[in-house]
Amino acid sequence: MEQTGPSTFYMTINGRRVQASAGEYVLDVTRRNGIHVPTLCHHPAVEPFGSCRLCMVEVTKEAWKGWKGLMTACLYPAADGLVIETDSESVHRVRRNVLDLLLARCPDSGVIQKLAAEYGVTRTTFTPRENPDLCILCGLCTRVCETAATAAITTAMRGHERVVGTPWGGPPPDCIGCLACAHVCPTGHITFEEHGLTRSIWGREFELERCADCGKPLPITRDQAAFLCRRQEMDPSYFSRCADCQRKMVAERMGRMARWQTLGLAQEPAERGKEVAR
Amino acid sequence: MDTVRYETVDAFRDHAAALRGSDLARRRRVLVCCGTGCLAGGARGVAEAFAEHLPDNKQTELGLVVKRTGCHGFCEKGPLVVLMPRGTFYRGVKPKHVPEIVERSVVGDEVIEELLYVDPGTGKPVAGYGDIEFYAKQTRVAMRNIGLIDPANIDDYMLRGGYDALARALSTMSPEQVLQTIEAAKLRGRGGGGFDAGRKWRSCKRAGGDVRYVIANGDEGDPGAFMDRSIMEGDPHAVLEGLIIGGYALESSQGYIYVRQEYPLAVEHLQRAIEDARGRGLLGENILGSGYSFEIEISRGGGAFVCGESSALMRSVEGKVGEPRAKYIHATDKGLWDRPTVLNNVETWATVPCIVEKGPEWFTGLGTERSKGTKAFSLVGKVKNTGLVEVEMGTTLRQIIFGPGGGMLDTGERGKFKAVQTGGPSGGCVPESLLDLPVDFDTLTEVGSMMGSGGMIVMDHSTCMVDVARYFLSFLVDESCGKCVPCREGLFQMYQIVSRICEGKGTPADLDKIDDLSQAIILGSLCALGKSGPNPVLSTLQYFRHEYEAHINEKRCPAGVCKALITYSVVNDRCDGCGACLSACAVGAIMGTPKKGDTFKIDALACDRCGACVAVCKRGAIAVA
Amino acid sequence: MTQSTQTQSMTTEVDTRPAEEILGQYPADARYLISVMQDIQLRYRYLPREALERVAERLGVPLAKVYGVATFYKAFSLTPKGEKELRVCTGTACHIRGAPLILSELTKRLGIKPGETTPDMLFSIEAVNCVGACALAPVVVVNDVAHGNVSVTGVRRLIKAPRKSGGAGGGTNKTTKKQDN
Repeated sequence: MEQTGPSTFYMTINGRRVQASAGEYVLDVTRRNGIHVPTLCHHPAVEPFGSCRLCMVEVTKEAWKGWKGLMTACLYPAADGLVIETDSESVHRVRRNVLDLLLARCPDSGVIQKLAAEYGVTRTTFTPRENPDLCILCGLCTRVCETAATAAITTAMRGHERVVGTPWGGPPPDCIGCLACAHVCPTGHITFEEHGLTRSIWGREFELERCADCGKPLPITRDQAAFLCRRQEMDPSYFSRCADCQRKMVAERMGRMARWQTLGLAQEPAERGKEVAR
Repeated sequence: MDTVRYETVDAFRDHAAALRGSDLARRRRVLVCCGTGCLAGGARGVAEAFAEHLPDNKQTELGLVVKRTGCHGFCEKGPLVVLMPRGTFYRGVKPKHVPEIVERSVVGDEVIEELLYVDPGTGKPVAGYGDIEFYAKQTRVAMRNIGLIDPANIDDYMLRGGYDALARALSTMSPEQVLQTIEAAKLRGRGGGGFDAGRKWRSCKRAGGDVRYVIANGDEGDPGAFMDRSIMEGDPHAVLEGLIIGGYALESSQGYIYVRQEYPLAVEHLQRAIEDARGRGLLGENILGSGYSFEIEISRGGGAFVCGESSALMRSVEGKVGEPRAKYIHATDKGLWDRPTVLNNVETWATVPCIVEKGPEWFTGLGTERSKGTKAFSLVGKVKNTGLVEVEMGTTLRQIIFGPGGGMLDTGERGKFKAVQTGGPSGGCVPESLLDLPVDFDTLTEVGSMMGSGGMIVMDHSTCMVDVARYFLSFLVDESCGKCVPCREGLFQMYQIVSRICEGKGTPADLDKIDDLSQAIILGSLCALGKSGPNPVLSTLQYFRHEYEAHINEKRCPAGVCKALITYSVVNDRCDGCGACLSACAVGAIMGTPKKGDTFKIDALACDRCGACVAVCKRGAIAVA
Repeated sequence: MTQSTQTQSMTTEVDTRPAEEILGQYPADARYLISVMQDIQLRYRYLPREALERVAERLGVPLAKVYGVATFYKAFSLTPKGEKELRVCTGTACHIRGAPLILSELTKRLGIKPGETTPDMLFSIEAVNCVGACALAPVVVVNDVAHGNVSVTGVRRLIKAPRKSGGAGGGTNKTTKKQDN
């Protein structure tokens, strides 16, 4: 992207002069300066998407001679001399309508109800969806699955028929049960279950790793462990112990190492086996 | 088959000169239109009949050639056969007419009156192409060759001056000079945005890196528009030449033509043109020995209106879903595969060779102050002559509709002009009071519509404007990619509101709601599909508010269209008891004793107002209230 | 239309050899996803799951993404289409000249809605976007043969049991046959 001008510069947000750097988005600048801008489809783990439109702010520049534009703060590049209003009338009109529309889509979502109430919407003025669920189609789950995992879930169809789901609506073959999607979902639409050694999500069941020492289930599935090992070129034994047993093992090891030192040895004599990964 | 290859510009020029001076160039031409429209009317049979009655040796003997051409743009009158140079224009030709045409008009010198086009104004048959108002009042630039050449024959294109512009650019101009020519011509994109093409090309040139792409947007998603189809089908080389010249100016080595999935004939013809151009050395490595290399690939759409949007189109070329990106990321910086890319409409590219050949002053001499040149429109709907019309910018709506358009189709009160929809689903309706508006990019936008890609749909009093708004909203809801909330949810809810109004369930508060929601959608949407989505509703509200109010307050549809608000009944005085309506009714809502006109009745409860009975009744005995 | 959970409606296994052939004609690059699927759609008259699984493997695109693209674009169908595909153009010109009437007539006569196929697999109805033959509105495309100026009675002729060659209207609109390269 073309970069003109200095690499750090000043912008004005709600009348306040703030510093920003080239390569940042306006949202990064507002967050850093404690200026509140609501978001739903934004998450630090993934690239900004611009689908919820809640973070819209009014932007202008001297060169624009009074023309103001509404831009999503999450995707708009910070630049020298920008003048930004985060709560103008136009901004609120968009936010109010977006939340009203989302409330029509997901009337039972506590998160949406709370946000909507902040903009004066307690009940939706639109036609509510029939048989609604909690999915607001922010796309965070599919994006995080693509970035951090295996792109096992997808958005299907388009427009008003759009849904987040799995190939042919069945259990997704590529899912590794990592729960990234469930963790990142802002409304709690994606649910999972864990019983004993089994985790189930998206209609699939996964076996959890268990601690080689105490047998307790680890919060990671075998598929997930295998995936991470492949991707990060890690040793599988990294995932073989629970946190407690890991700590115990490290403590014991450090104790042994201290003993060798007092014995004047460079390393443990002829001990095979359990390596601690870096 | 074709062994000619031009290694140098001179070789090209020599061959072109030879072609143009040859016997082939002087022959009379029998042009059989084989565009999609005429094919639907049976043109293939006509073309085959000509092939049978005028085989090659007979053609040579008679000193003529028979050519299958692209769409003349006058599809309703098809299949069309034109005899040049005389200009004899035959419409509605069937295979059975061919022997007579050959005998009397080709071998002989006569004109067959029954096959001539009849001017709706004078009621008289018109002998010549040039006298037909539909064509006489047009200034064809982008569509200059269509209907006159065989699109599958590169020699035909060259006979009309094709590739001269490319030769000139490569031999006498630097890339910078070509760019300056386009800037000087003030060419604005013909796809809908009307953005200055020179400015776009310039920002792409300025962007860093050594890989750039040029794309021709052949997605033409606006319902009612088919200009690009006829250019791609009927004159594919014009698009190629424009792209190669553009690529040269931008120092790009790869071009793409994105053709929508619904245009298979266009894909075929473009494919053939690419192969022929490549064979001749006009495309590919070291074009005409200039050292400049350029390749073109065709990318087919998957069936999505949103892919007409520049960034969505590029995602589609990349094999992804057609989701647009925010406009703050300019395609001229990061477009296709994040490289600087210039995307322009097919019609824009087809205009480029003319500008390079004739010079920018020629182009700026046409049109208005802010909109130079000509524009192709597809004039459809309730006009007599539906088809493609290319006129100078600044021609008024009235001149277009009542000139080449031939005026309104139906007579009587219901047939009177009501509105013309321009700019497709992103545009708006223009009422009668504004018919004298000179058409250009800015004037239409100022009155709440826009030129868009050039679709012009003429409506009469049998059209309900609220239903039109509902129709466009339903189209947009179907085509929305679904990424952003204002468009996906907002347009859907707007569609719910307008539908309720059509069903007689609207309230006055609905109109305020539409206003507020529209503003939010316009401000909040990610791309132009959403941003311009409310336009059809807002413009119909602006000029036809009384219709909305009739639906809301009186539960009445003045045009007699909205099913929930109309009833069908038999006008027994006019009924002759033929029973055609009874057979046509699929829900059995009509009863009557055959031959007894006064016994026929429609059961209002069973009737679903499909209109089948109205369509078949020859006595006008079904009333819609 | 909800997300399709339909599996193969045919009891026989899908022959993936034609799909393999098609895949062989393209480089193994994700950018050819749409082109490949278009060829498969043309060949099978829909996109069988087995074929798409092969596509995902060969082009290196996650299966979920392939499915996402297949359901995004109108050109693709995940369920088999009937022998006669009736595509009613719903472009603006056709709309004004009676397309809704044609659609409702077809719906009534065949007992299926747009997007569906008759149980005997003979007919499918689609409401499609403007096909660019606006001067001949209203237009119905039957298996790539475009019929213009279709009237209500004309509709009934279109849905007679499939015969060997073309229906009412005569003209043939050429389809793109992919050239072997």
